[in-house]
Amino acid sequence: MAQFNLYQEEYHPSPWQYTWIAFKENHIAVVGLFCLLFFVFITLFSPIIAPFDPTYQTTGDLLIPPAWFDNGGISHLLGTDALGRDMLSRVLYGCRMTFGISVLLVLLTMLIGVGIGAVAGMSKGFRSSFVNHTLDSIKAIPTLLIAIIIVAILGTGLVNSMWAIMLALIPQFVHQTREFISNEMQKEYVMASKLDGASNIQLFFRTILPNMGEVLVVQCTLALSISVLDISALGFLNLGAQGSLPELGHMLSEGIEVAYLAPWTIAIPGGAIFLMMISINLVGDGLRSALRNRLLHS
Amino acid sequence: MNSVVLRYTNLMVITLIVLSLFSFALAYLFPGHPIENLTGLSTEQLASGYQHAFNYASGESLLVQYWHYMAALFNGNWGFSFHTGLPLYEEIKHVLPASIELSAYALIISVLVGIPLGFLAALNHHKTTDYVLLSVSVLGYSIPVFWLALLAIMGFSLQLGWFPLSGRISLFYEVPVETGYIVLDILLSDIPNKRSALLDVVQHSILPTLSIAVVTTTLIIRITRRSVIETLDTEFVQAAYARGLSTYQVLVRHGIRNALIPIFPLLAMQFTTLLTNAMIVETIFSWPGLGNWLIQAIYHQDYPAIRAGMLTVSALVVVFTMSIELTIRLMDPRRRRVRRGTI
Repeated sequence: MAQFNLYQEEYHPSPWQYTWIAFKENHIAVVGLFCLLFFVFITLFSPIIAPFDPTYQTTGDLLIPPAWFDNGGISHLLGTDALGRDMLSRVLYGCRMTFGISVLLVLLTMLIGVGIGAVAGMSKGFRSSFVNHTLDSIKAIPTLLIAIIIVAILGTGLVNSMWAIMLALIPQFVHQTREFISNEMQKEYVMASKLDGASNIQLFFRTILPNMGEVLVVQCTLALSISVLDISALGFLNLGAQGSLPELGHMLSEGIEVAYLAPWTIAIPGGAIFLMMISINLVGDGLRSALRNRLLHS
Repeated sequence: MNSVVLRYTNLMVITLIVLSLFSFALAYLFPGHPIENLTGLSTEQLASGYQHAFNYASGESLLVQYWHYMAALFNGNWGFSFHTGLPLYEEIKHVLPASIELSAYALIISVLVGIPLGFLAALNHHKTTDYVLLSVSVLGYSIPVFWLALLAIMGFSLQLGWFPLSGRISLFYEVPVETGYIVLDILLSDIPNKRSALLDVVQHSILPTLSIAVVTTTLIIRITRRSVIETLDTEFVQAAYARGLSTYQVLVRHGIRNALIPIFPLLAMQFTTLLTNAMIVETIFSWPGLGNWLIQAIYHQDYPAIRAGMLTVSALVVVFTMSIELTIRLMDPRRRRVRRGTI
């Protein structure tokens, strides 16, 4: 619990400021945050940073190693792939695609999931348990299998794999929201607004939603790491991004063919996914422990 | 207690029915003619003599069709694969054991490594050991499993040559298939060089098992750590200390058992992660399992196979998860509601 002395406090930080104070103390998490911001920067500005067009094939420059190898050149900093495309530009665009799509997916999923969860959490009886059971059945199917089914119905492609990942992510948001709301509904401040005559919609948007921000942010980081992993896994299995699209998982699967000759074609995209995942997970972990500890140190 | 068992059975049956309905609906959702997607036979083949085997009553209402579908499902009559033309039931019976074997190895290794390390981290809470284990676990569950598998192949198979590249057993050994579990098969069979065959199987399974186990282990470490920390914070542990028990006694008598209870349902929820990873790793190592089979099915647009595979995998997950939850629920009367995982 908060142990401040009311009369000596100079100012009262908001809950978010408390969270930030606790988050700052975890230096590794802050490094992760900067890494994540770096990826956001790449996502926004990769067309400006990238030296080449990611799909442009230089016919003379096949499989040039990265610059720090003896026969690498400075014009292709991370080398080129089997079709003579510049790896650096491809990785930059790949990060943009994988990360950007994941962020987009998570935001969309959050809207849908919180919506369904709110309906399920505020209602009782059959409607609530119906939603619950349907979601449990969906959760029983592994993401990859959902993706396989959707790809089988709609055909391969990046957009179809996005549908699959959304379908797999929604149940988690719904569960979180539903649980949170049904817990909150029993509390007294909700009862107070109810007595003031708030309708269910007002109750959700005005009373409960402001308290849900932190739960949602933590769930978002979890969902983000899952969706990055799933998009690249589907790309890797040739079920997601097709053709010359620069998507990290797809690049990895293209690199396999020349992996023995040119290890950098799988090391670099894989490393980029790895770094992305680490930074997301570090921030997520840091946030979770910050939320847990934020009132201890104040 | 009976009511609990009844409730869980009811839940399980309903979930399975929903899944079977969904798999039936897939026949209509997939491109092509529904009856072809259900049986795996073309309409010409159906017209010429197969009809007695597939009585799907294509003219009747959907409900009657579903009824016939379920009847065929329970008779082991799952249709035929578009690609190979073999009965799907036989195919799945052939590939499923390989997947179960691989996942079981990975699960056993991760439980054996993860739970002790989780305890270690929790007992050294906020000390160097804890931080080191936590950071390693962040690395472990951030690494994409397909990349890890590729790196393992590059390093250990191609560069060092320690382990074979792919498959389940070298082609030199001819093991008659009886149970489908290769280790059992070797032990049951009477081939001359059992010992070297077993060694070969172990060599083949090390890399895929380890690549799957890395992610699961790190998840188990985190789950265990959280659970132990929470248990050691409770009042009955304080009471045990107050009674004058030593740290060791508190841990053994009160800590371990109470900390392990919440771990297992959370573990059961990671089962889908394990399966997904196993499916990806199977395709990389050409392991002849269900995951590899399903991915091949999608490349060949083998719709009956996808339907049957989806039903098998999801039924497996549902039965597994539900039985673990039921066991835990019966063991631990405190659990009134299903708890969602935190790591």
